[in-house]
Amino acid sequence: MKALMSIGALVGVVGLLLLAGMIFDIIPSNTIRLVEGYMPMQMLFEVGCYVLGFTGLSYMLNAMGMGIPRFWQGIGFWIFFLLYIKYRIYPPIPFSVRAMYGTVGLVAVLMWVSSNEEDWKKFKQPILNVLDAQTGFNKVLRYVYLIALPILTWGFSYNAMMPKSEEPIELRTVHPAPPASTKVHGKTYVLQTSLNPYRVNPEGKYDQEYTNSLIVEQGMGRLMKPNANPWDEKAEGYLKYVREGGEIFFQNCHFCHGDNLNGRGLHAFAFNPIPANFTDPGTIAQLQETFIFWRVAKGGIGLPNEGFPWASVMPPWEQHLTVDEIWKVILFEYWHTGYYPRTWD
Amino acid sequence: MGVVTRKKLLSIIALSAMVVALLLPIVMALPSPATGEEAPVAEGAQKEGEKVEKARDVYYKTEGIVVGAPAPKTTDSPTDYPRYNFESRVLLWFANQQHLYYGSFVLAVPIFCMIIEFMGVVTKDKALAKRYDQLAYDFIKISLTAYSLTAILGGILIFTFLTLYPTFFSYLSSIFRPVMHIYALMFVAESGTLYIYYYGWDKMKEGFLKWIHLSMSVVLNVIGTLLMFLANSWIGFMMSPAGVDEQGRYLGNIWHVIHTALWNPLNLHRILGNMAFGGGVVAAYAAYKFLAAKTDEERAHYDWMGYIAMALGVAFLIPLPFAGYWLMREVYAYRQQMGITLMGGLLAWLFIIQATMIGILFLSTNYYLWQAMGRMRGAEKYQRYIKYLVFLLACGFMVFITPHTMVMTPAELKAMGGQQHPVLGNYGVMSAKNGGINVIITTTVLSFVWYMRGNKVSTVSWARFGNIFMGVFFTCAYINIIFLAIYGYYIPANVRVGLSVPQVATTLSCLFFMFTLNSMMMKGAKQMGPIEWGKISARSQYALIMLATAFTWMMGLMGYIRSSVRLFWHVNEIMRDNSPWAYTHTVGFAANVISANVLFFWISILFVFWLGSLTAKKAPVEAKVGVPGAIPQPAGSH
Repeated sequence: MKALMSIGALVGVVGLLLLAGMIFDIIPSNTIRLVEGYMPMQMLFEVGCYVLGFTGLSYMLNAMGMGIPRFWQGIGFWIFFLLYIKYRIYPPIPFSVRAMYGTVGLVAVLMWVSSNEEDWKKFKQPILNVLDAQTGFNKVLRYVYLIALPILTWGFSYNAMMPKSEEPIELRTVHPAPPASTKVHGKTYVLQTSLNPYRVNPEGKYDQEYTNSLIVEQGMGRLMKPNANPWDEKAEGYLKYVREGGEIFFQNCHFCHGDNLNGRGLHAFAFNPIPANFTDPGTIAQLQETFIFWRVAKGGIGLPNEGFPWASVMPPWEQHLTVDEIWKVILFEYWHTGYYPRTWD
Repeated sequence: MGVVTRKKLLSIIALSAMVVALLLPIVMALPSPATGEEAPVAEGAQKEGEKVEKARDVYYKTEGIVVGAPAPKTTDSPTDYPRYNFESRVLLWFANQQHLYYGSFVLAVPIFCMIIEFMGVVTKDKALAKRYDQLAYDFIKISLTAYSLTAILGGILIFTFLTLYPTFFSYLSSIFRPVMHIYALMFVAESGTLYIYYYGWDKMKEGFLKWIHLSMSVVLNVIGTLLMFLANSWIGFMMSPAGVDEQGRYLGNIWHVIHTALWNPLNLHRILGNMAFGGGVVAAYAAYKFLAAKTDEERAHYDWMGYIAMALGVAFLIPLPFAGYWLMREVYAYRQQMGITLMGGLLAWLFIIQATMIGILFLSTNYYLWQAMGRMRGAEKYQRYIKYLVFLLACGFMVFITPHTMVMTPAELKAMGGQQHPVLGNYGVMSAKNGGINVIITTTVLSFVWYMRGNKVSTVSWARFGNIFMGVFFTCAYINIIFLAIYGYYIPANVRVGLSVPQVATTLSCLFFMFTLNSMMMKGAKQMGPIEWGKISARSQYALIMLATAFTWMMGLMGYIRSSVRLFWHVNEIMRDNSPWAYTHTVGFAANVISANVLFFWISILFVFWLGSLTAKKAPVEAKVGVPGAIPQPAGSH
């Protein structure tokens, strides 16, 4: 047990040193890379390791007679967590999310320290000591709080009320609900039922299962399936349409959406927000092909009221591309990212 | 069976009369669903050689004879939208919400009474049986006062409709005309049954008569549930109309109008929601009484009452997210736009708030259970592991509430390099969220299991094996849930939706198998000490109040979301809302109105509780059952 706890304590100390390095900018946050694009288990795993590490550390310190009081354990862990989400996670997360996580962290700490009567008493004791002020030190501390707390409250209020020159926060609706139907080049398409006419099997019939089988899932490293190379000149049917879609994409779209379709094209950073990242599982992967068709055809200018604040510079591509070209480019986007369009079966 | 006495015969006749009263309105209305109320007129017209117009049902796609007028095209005028100097929509919102709060409460509490009364009847321990019976009686007493308020609020709601939205209400009642009288008659039947059930309590408290009394509660609940189903059909029709053509003309089949695409999921969701809400309110009542109690006896009674109400509420809370998931799935299947507006578009932020509230509910429940372990000798052994449960809950909670599109300033947006955070943004999709909520629920089940065995040591020969099996089962459950959450990122969205099934199955397996196994292991277990009812921390009671408040707030929020998803339609795609308020409120405004509704409800329910306490003060002393020294454990917990 002691050996196990010693390992835990070591993990805790190393973890704390690493975090301190990140806070003081000695170690860049991305020294240990956070994996992008999938279920972010890494962050939870790291925090879990810290929890185990701190448990080990606490055990060892107790064994050495240097135990940390429960009050400081709770406060310390919360401060650690706030620093972790501020300095470890990159790119930096917005304040709103940090506030949410910080609150969850605080609630969790309070639940822990008050889960039983004994711990709760231990946690409260330093607070009660200051309030009772039986010693000189506590008396001084009580006066300090008496003066500091109103000043802090005033400071927060002043800061909150003071007009700021920052741009206001925007609650942007990234995927507004599409209309029931859309009219492109004079033809009406019902979004719930329309199908990509190029998603076909060798017999020329619509076949999502067949086309899915020619896609390599993103997790496999975006390799091509054997004998399924769209750039093979002999490729026919679906693969040929993917190639044609690719050509259209690289002639028109990749300047913004990037050659990896990750929204980081040549012009991407001229815009705020940058263009959509198709490799993100939250974009085309969870939308029907007809949704993409509507967005490509109508562009940012065609966003509905719900799409406030309409922060999109996407051109209405129906003015530049034919219907067939739009369908083909969509086909290519799904093929390249390894995602399948959403269906409702 | 012994000699059938006159009293028994009378009670059987009374019960039969109730059943007949229940069936009568349905039987009376039977010709309507078959032919439509107006059908004979249409036949008559046909005989005279007039042309019969046929049209296609917007949802069922079947052909029917047009028997109703088209949905009115309203204008922003005093005829269609008469008003006070206030936003009519908010007035209606308030009236509707209050009616729904009370309606839910009075539908849920008789179900509780039925369960508790049944527990009292089947319990062999006489003292415990008496306590259960008294508890059920206390519940129905509270419900009776609330019932009158529900009816009053229903009247206010109808008057609000008639005064502020006359054209819309007239159209809706024309569509539902064949069943409007059934609703009214069932309300009468509900009132009658409730009064007989309540006032017959003392006269039918023993033997066979008690069973008849219990059967009456079943009839009462059947009527209540049918009433709710009928009311649900109106909102179902407004969201996903059926039984009418594109112009909104009624096609003569009332079953189509009732049985819309969203009716069944709405029914299930509301039953579970009402039960969880009712449990929360009663638990809060008990918590309030506990905190105000002056004697140990009172504290013990209300501690026990709070526990039972919480356990019943949570029993229905656990499947609630799954029922919600089914409802959303059906919404998506019905209209993709509606689903996206709800979960990815305009109303997505409200769903983040909802996730937060769900998380609070489960966190409060767990916290209460950990506190409750403090009143058991022997439960100390679990205390040191609680921090790991806190960790699991906090992780699940964080994943569950992380928005896909974050609120940020343009400067933060630029620093992040895109609309979605490349790492944490991935918590925003369904796969991660399913994992998060299932981890939370499984942890709640684990807390319950610890609570149930808190003061006991299993004496069965296979206890060691059983403990290992339980440990392995829970570990595998967590691994499976988390694995499926990760795997969901590698498969198409439509398949990913299906992954929720094994995740839910895993959680429910934990619930059913582990509860069963635990009960088997704890049969004849060695007691480390009794449950010391009343010796629970005050913090636990605040957790119960938190639970109830979160329920109330969440109900208000979800009702608002469900209603708002129609956007500018009174009846989706059939009847447009042309009032000046056909826009979606800001999140802040909606939250303020919800909070005001919650505040009003709690103030008014406190009044109801106070009224209940007046009756209690007048009750004879014998009605009060004292808390025995060695208090038996409630069947719900062990």
